[in-house]
Amino acid sequence: QQIQEDLSKQLFDNLVSFLRRSHSEFQEKTTEWTCRMKSKEIPTAALVLGVNVTDHDLTFRSLSEVLQNNITPYIALLEAKDCPGIKNLMQKLMGQLMNCYVDVDSLEDEDYVQVSQNRVRCSMTSLINWYKSVTKKTDSETPRKKRTSSSRHWQSPPVVVIFRDMESFTTKVLQDFIVISSQRIHELPLVLIFGIATSPMIIHSLLPHSVSSLLCIELFQSISSKDHLSTLIDKLLLTAQFPFKLGEKVLQVLINIFLYHDFSIQNFIKGFQLCIVEHFYSQPLSVLCCRLVDAKKRVDSLSHNQCENIRRLPSFRRYVESQVSEKQIALLTTDSYLKEIIQKLLEDLHVYHENYVSVLRCLHVFTSSLPKYPLGKQIRELHCACLEDQVWETEEYESSLQLARMLNKSDLVTMLQQCVEIFVSSSGKEFDKTVEKLKEFLTQFQKLEAEAFQEQDVSVSSQKELQKKTDLYHLQKTLLELKESRRSKKLTKFEMLRFEVVDYIDSLVRNYLVPADHKTLHEIVYFNTASVLREHLNAAPRIALHTALNNPYWYLKNQALKSDGGTISNKAPDICIAYKLHLECGRLINLVDWLEAFSTVVMAVEGPNADAASSDQVDDIIHARFIRAVSELELLGFIKPSKQKTDHVARLTWGGC
Amino acid sequence: TLGKKIKENKMSNLVEEYFEAHSSSKVLTSDRTLQKLQKRRLNQQTLHDLLKKAPLAYAAEIKELNQQHESLFSKWMLQLHLGFNIVLYGLGSKRDLLEKFRTSMLQDSVHLVVNGYFPSITVRSILNSITEEVLEHIGTFRSPLDQLEFIVKRFKEDSSLELYVLIHNLDSQMLRGERSQQILAQLSSLPSIYLIASIDHINAPLMWDQAKLSLYNWLWYETTTFSPYVEETSYENSLLIQQSGSLALSSLTHVLRSLTLNARGIFRLLAQYQLENKDNPSYPGLSFQDFYQQCREAFLVNSDLTLRAQLTEFRDHKLIRTKRGADGVEYLLIPVDDSTLTDFLEKEDEDA
Repeated sequence: QQIQEDLSKQLFDNLVSFLRRSHSEFQEKTTEWTCRMKSKEIPTAALVLGVNVTDHDLTFRSLSEVLQNNITPYIALLEAKDCPGIKNLMQKLMGQLMNCYVDVDSLEDEDYVQVSQNRVRCSMTSLINWYKSVTKKTDSETPRKKRTSSSRHWQSPPVVVIFRDMESFTTKVLQDFIVISSQRIHELPLVLIFGIATSPMIIHSLLPHSVSSLLCIELFQSISSKDHLSTLIDKLLLTAQFPFKLGEKVLQVLINIFLYHDFSIQNFIKGFQLCIVEHFYSQPLSVLCCRLVDAKKRVDSLSHNQCENIRRLPSFRRYVESQVSEKQIALLTTDSYLKEIIQKLLEDLHVYHENYVSVLRCLHVFTSSLPKYPLGKQIRELHCACLEDQVWETEEYESSLQLARMLNKSDLVTMLQQCVEIFVSSSGKEFDKTVEKLKEFLTQFQKLEAEAFQEQDVSVSSQKELQKKTDLYHLQKTLLELKESRRSKKLTKFEMLRFEVVDYIDSLVRNYLVPADHKTLHEIVYFNTASVLREHLNAAPRIALHTALNNPYWYLKNQALKSDGGTISNKAPDICIAYKLHLECGRLINLVDWLEAFSTVVMAVEGPNADAASSDQVDDIIHARFIRAVSELELLGFIKPSKQKTDHVARLTWGGC
Repeated sequence: TLGKKIKENKMSNLVEEYFEAHSSSKVLTSDRTLQKLQKRRLNQQTLHDLLKKAPLAYAAEIKELNQQHESLFSKWMLQLHLGFNIVLYGLGSKRDLLEKFRTSMLQDSVHLVVNGYFPSITVRSILNSITEEVLEHIGTFRSPLDQLEFIVKRFKEDSSLELYVLIHNLDSQMLRGERSQQILAQLSSLPSIYLIASIDHINAPLMWDQAKLSLYNWLWYETTTFSPYVEETSYENSLLIQQSGSLALSSLTHVLRSLTLNARGIFRLLAQYQLENKDNPSYPGLSFQDFYQQCREAFLVNSDLTLRAQLTEFRDHKLIRTKRGADGVEYLLIPVDDSTLTDFLEKEDEDA
């Protein structure tokens, strides 16, 4: 658990710093612009942030931090849910501004405490008075104070108001606020920032012309969340830094949730966290999932039981089977020998990861420039393809190699250079040779340039030959010859070289991009139970209800409940029978008929042993059971009481469910 | 592509089924009514007694299912502590399961149980119990938002505070509103508040948008128990059960919501008047004449007749009761206890 916390913390720090960095540029632009603006209209920045509302929190927080450090101490962040009316908005605004001020200067003036407690009387005028007094104060303060504040802020710093989610504000509140503040803009330098999730059109649809003409809007675009995802995957998954890895299916699920549901980075991270938790919770060998040095230590201290666990791993069994028989016996019986081997295997795994990443990047350089992207445009697609199966056996890989063989020279050279860079920067030791080889390719290409002219000459001369002959018979003959020669003509040196390069890359791929499943002990670092993830993150409550009602055998393993196809046995729980009967009805259900059908079904079960004397009693009980089933269905939302006809209920679902 | 086609087929089937179900406004059902059935209507108590006699089917299997779920308890604890919140779905009452979780895991930690199915529950009462009993704060707040702010502040200041909140039926009538969910979501996003809730309604996930979902940070667990919803349905006023006399807050709001604006105003007027006089034990109710005068002044009715018609409708829904005083004048009363009425007015103010 300790490791896991460490790991997730590490991960989080990494993420946050990354997000900060990606936002910083964007923020700088905004801040710069805030400094510049000074005009009669209210300067307004519209930030188009994309639909992933959940990720914006961090953006705004760091934005206000940056603003606070560079420009102004007066920042208020307003959320739509706090501002149902203009009164609440003003209250919130004043409260935040005054608190901001106190925060920044850590002033313990009693005035402010009093004012902030007295929030009922919040109006524009009081706001302006407050602002005046504050600015005056900063003007007439002690020299020390003045110096600090004027060096960081200007003489009359603007008041920045951030509207976090523009779309969910009430139009009226927003309009009123803008109109009111625009009238006092001379006394109170206000800057508005709108966070927009959809498109900038929303400003014009929310605000009428008379109001939007009071604003001086500038648009800022943030990076799309898809780009964020690619960088995230790049930083998180394609490094050897983190010992924990995701299996192909899990990654696929996470990416699918991201792309098809919400575009939310936060949810992706949440899924990743869940994977970590799940992995360390369920897999007893996950203690070994840490840095190589630590892992080696931990291997030494493994108990006998844990060794047994390792022996039980399918990938380890495969490994054992491939060994000679004495070794097999040693592996299966002696713990100390096993530990030795495990250390070696872990090291292998580690080296494999390091090599994998750089070769993957290299391959990506090649495939990402091909037309139609047979192996995908993004590196994550390539990564998935490599994890899924042996990539060189797929059709896509075949076609991409074929396309690569037709590349022209300048592209090929730049690609090779990129590959060299990748290998040089990678930490794996095995790549010295590779780098050398690639460099050799490069020099050969340079040599080729000289030869290329020669080749051109040849072709030109043959062309000339063609022009010389005018005789029809000769022409035909030479044409045939030319064709012949072309067919049998040896490949040019460039082509030869190109083939060589491609083949070399191919061999690299074959050597290093073996899918992780084929590695021994991959269970320790790879989390591969996608079903868990899907269940807990992307649950389908309706499907669960449907199966439970339609096919109770799925949950209650009783032979009496077993039935085939759409039918349901009459011994099923009451609610299932009632549900099944209600499925047969249309939009409205007559309660009396429903009750009768229900009692028929239930009586059929009890019929034989129910005697006539107590039939009234039985009837009552069935009635009660029916009532219970119906009210349960009502609770579940399948039906609701209807006023359309007496004693009827309306169905709220249609079809099977 | 074959799978895709099948999927498409399924999709179009679903669509067709929808339109089939809603195509004709004519409904083909028989005209029989329960009145004609030779059977007395059962009331709540007899129903309960009768059901007790009926044995629960498949008890052994259900027990096995529950044991499966119970084995997850320690995992839940871990995940709660890691910042996730847990939501349980599936057929069957999850009340006993949560109760068991409470008794086995939360014995010596501060926890709060919220019975969402209880018809008079409000978010305010949840917040109140947090501020009063957990934080031991005495004092009132102007609005739930203020209260929430206070709670958030306290929990952020004091990292030793921890609170487990168990909510049965997060999707119940009273808690499913936008504002209540917003407040609960914000509450659950606090790192030292651990929320574990259950939902039953098929459309329960509709009440959460992206922002709320990320605040809730749910982990979904399917816990199909097949146990009957005893507590949950005991408040559900079914058609088949004889209504008990007292009105619940939920049914009150329900009926009022289907009325016109003026009718709501009339009821409000009466409710306010009754609350103003709640300390007066000899208050007989509002006389019809006075009431008429007041309604007229508020432009709610324009004639004696319309007010009478409106009052008749109220009487049919058992919203008001008339009483003839000693002087032969008709007095109007709302047969609801004062606290429910206060809650109701508060809720109306919020919605307005």
